[in-house]
Amino acid sequence: MFKAIVSADTLQETLDSVSVLVDECKIHLDDDTLSIRAVDPASVGMVDLDLAATAFESYEADGGLIGVNLSRLEDIAGMADAGQLIQLELDEETRKLHIQIDGLEYTLALIDPDSIRQEPDIPDLDLPAHVAIEGRDIDRAVTAADMVSDHIALGVDTGDDLFYVNAEGDTDDVHLELAPDQLIDLDAGDAHSLFSLDYLKDMNKAIPTTAEVELELGDEFPIKLHFDIADAQGHVTYMLAPRIQSN
Amino acid sequence: MKFGSFATFAADIEATDADLDVVALVAELFDAADSDLDVVARFVQGRVFPAHSETKLDIGPQLCYTALSRAAGRNVDADDIEARLAETGDIGAVAGSLDLGGQTGLAAFGGGDDHADGLTVSGVADELAALAAAAGDGSQSEKVTLLFGLFNQCTSREARYLARLVLGEMRIGVGEGAVRDAIAEAFDVPTAAVQRALQVSNDYGLVAETARDSGTDALDAMGLEVGRPVQAMLAQAGTVTDALDEWHEAAVETKFDGARVQVHYDGDDVVLYSRNMENVTGALPELVEFVENNVTAPVIIDGEAVAADEDGDPLPFQEILKRFRRKHDVAAMREEISVELHAFDCLHAPSADGGEDLLDAPFSDRHRRLRSVVDDASAVSEVLVTDDADEIAAFEATALEGGHEGIMLKNPAAPYTPGDRGKDWLKRKPDVETLDLVVTGAEWGEGRRASVLGTFLLSARDAAGDGFETIGKVATGLTDEELAALSDRLEPHVRSEDGQTVDIEPAVVLEVGYEEIQASPTYSSGYALRFPRFVSVREDKTPTTADTIERVERLAAQQQQ
Repeated sequence: MFKAIVSADTLQETLDSVSVLVDECKIHLDDDTLSIRAVDPASVGMVDLDLAATAFESYEADGGLIGVNLSRLEDIAGMADAGQLIQLELDEETRKLHIQIDGLEYTLALIDPDSIRQEPDIPDLDLPAHVAIEGRDIDRAVTAADMVSDHIALGVDTGDDLFYVNAEGDTDDVHLELAPDQLIDLDAGDAHSLFSLDYLKDMNKAIPTTAEVELELGDEFPIKLHFDIADAQGHVTYMLAPRIQSN
Repeated sequence: MKFGSFATFAADIEATDADLDVVALVAELFDAADSDLDVVARFVQGRVFPAHSETKLDIGPQLCYTALSRAAGRNVDADDIEARLAETGDIGAVAGSLDLGGQTGLAAFGGGDDHADGLTVSGVADELAALAAAAGDGSQSEKVTLLFGLFNQCTSREARYLARLVLGEMRIGVGEGAVRDAIAEAFDVPTAAVQRALQVSNDYGLVAETARDSGTDALDAMGLEVGRPVQAMLAQAGTVTDALDEWHEAAVETKFDGARVQVHYDGDDVVLYSRNMENVTGALPELVEFVENNVTAPVIIDGEAVAADEDGDPLPFQEILKRFRRKHDVAAMREEISVELHAFDCLHAPSADGGEDLLDAPFSDRHRRLRSVVDDASAVSEVLVTDDADEIAAFEATALEGGHEGIMLKNPAAPYTPGDRGKDWLKRKPDVETLDLVVTGAEWGEGRRASVLGTFLLSARDAAGDGFETIGKVATGLTDEELAALSDRLEPHVRSEDGQTVDIEPAVVLEVGYEEIQASPTYSSGYALRFPRFVSVREDKTPTTADTIERVERLAAQQQQ
């Protein structure tokens, strides 16, 4: 059983943060939370999302699991105006999701969850450096790096107490340093890892510029990015595996 | 099997020239393939899916370049890949030269699937199947990411063959024949048994597994399956004389200018395959409807899809191809060009215990079964069984008048041999050249034609230019009206009569078609025409401008080449 009413903005935000990595996903409909966990087809990037029942206008669920085509569902959600409400109801018999937006009714065929890529195990990592940063600063770093390179290095300089970003192109380079006063918080530790900009660009698209993003970094280790959605009623964690530095 | 082992075999095979050595290596590969034998049997030929499968990888070169560039070292983009390709011309060499594997996976840190032991053949096959299944919005990026993920795990040798595999450019010199021979060598079964099993099943993986696991008897027991295409039996060019000399009697059919189509119907679903065993069901809805309404299942029928215009007259082959290639707007095309089935053979038919294969039954029996499973007689080929060349000529004349391509000659006693361009089916060779010959004699007809001249003695001019030498007789290809008109034209030139035989002074020139010129003591020119056929009266020619013996000699010499 699943029946819910949610604002268009919340639904769009939720779907967007998953669709940057995968086309299809499983959605767990537990009694107090909606959750999604997915890894991209190359097993390089991962998303782990929770949306509390309190993020909805109304929410009733009892532990079901559905498989959806995200771009299709995003298109439907896109039909709603900002602030409009979307009603979702699962038909257990037909395995279809009935979606209503102000008189518009859309019946979405669901995907067999077994045909969707297996959900990842979440690596249990204890990363030494923690950086709290505004979404707009991540956007700035990624945009600058993308002008010169397809890779980006993120690190923390424990000596100077800085978070830094490096991008080396064939001819041009980009370097960005952020001191504690330009950050929300910095818990310095040895960290320097290289990442593919293809992935970080996609993840950046889903991070609101006003969000407070917590980064966890290590030395040649995956990066974790945590941020809230839906007025802090939802939480997203991205994890991205590093490139090998010598490469 | 590790994908790395497959790549090593592929590299060895690519470096080998001699056919026998290639077969030995492929046999060794099959022997080592274990549970991946079916996939390996396809991969080694550069195929990802079985030939008859509707699943296609559908990866464009650009998508592959993008995936490779993402798996390559720092700041390599798709344009760089394309530039390197322009230098070497081989995507395998380009992929193998890249610095791959720079991206770690989450698996290395305890998340996601663990590929730490490297790629396996079945793992690659699964990922490629997922790639083929990705469709719709966003599927391009999904495909790129999947392929990037695979290349990222490749060694340079693996990348060389994976890149070629996904772009359908394997090019290691392993064709269908080598795979057939390698299956026989690897699993110690007769090549002929492998060949036959391949012809009926068309599934290299299945045949290899059957040969390995169950041996020759199981190969021999492999039969047709409704829904799985069979290689079509093919015809070679031949003559009426060949057919009658060889078989005594020939089954003659109209040759339609259509597209070969194989109809499979199990009672629920109709599936149509082209000659290349492509599934063309979606392009021909009216054939599907026709089969559902008129055919008794289970059957496999061989036939021709023929396009017709509004009046039901045949349209050229190109019109059919338009429909075959059309994936969209089939309904709109259906308005313009209707397609009809002309069935001519039956490979599988209902029996007491379900269905039975008819491959080994003679053509005449198969055709009788065909008539019993198809309700609508107009959709079944009309067959004339005869030993009379004149009847064949008359049949051909009717076919040509009806706008068809010509006739087929079939051995009524022959089995159906899939994929075989044998001598049991002949496309009658059209007349390549015609000769303009002078009528120098005739015979009165018999029976109904007793009052007109029937058989005409033909002559060519001799080299000197004033005499005529005989070369053959023509009696076929003329309608009653043409015969009567020709008699009237010739009678004033009759010089003498002896019983039925008439001597005629050179005056009228006929254009005559033939299959072959052969040396013969029967006629004074030293040549005879095989299967001569009346084409027309050359009103514009006189005996002095008719063809010479010299031209006949030249044409005879050209035939030898």
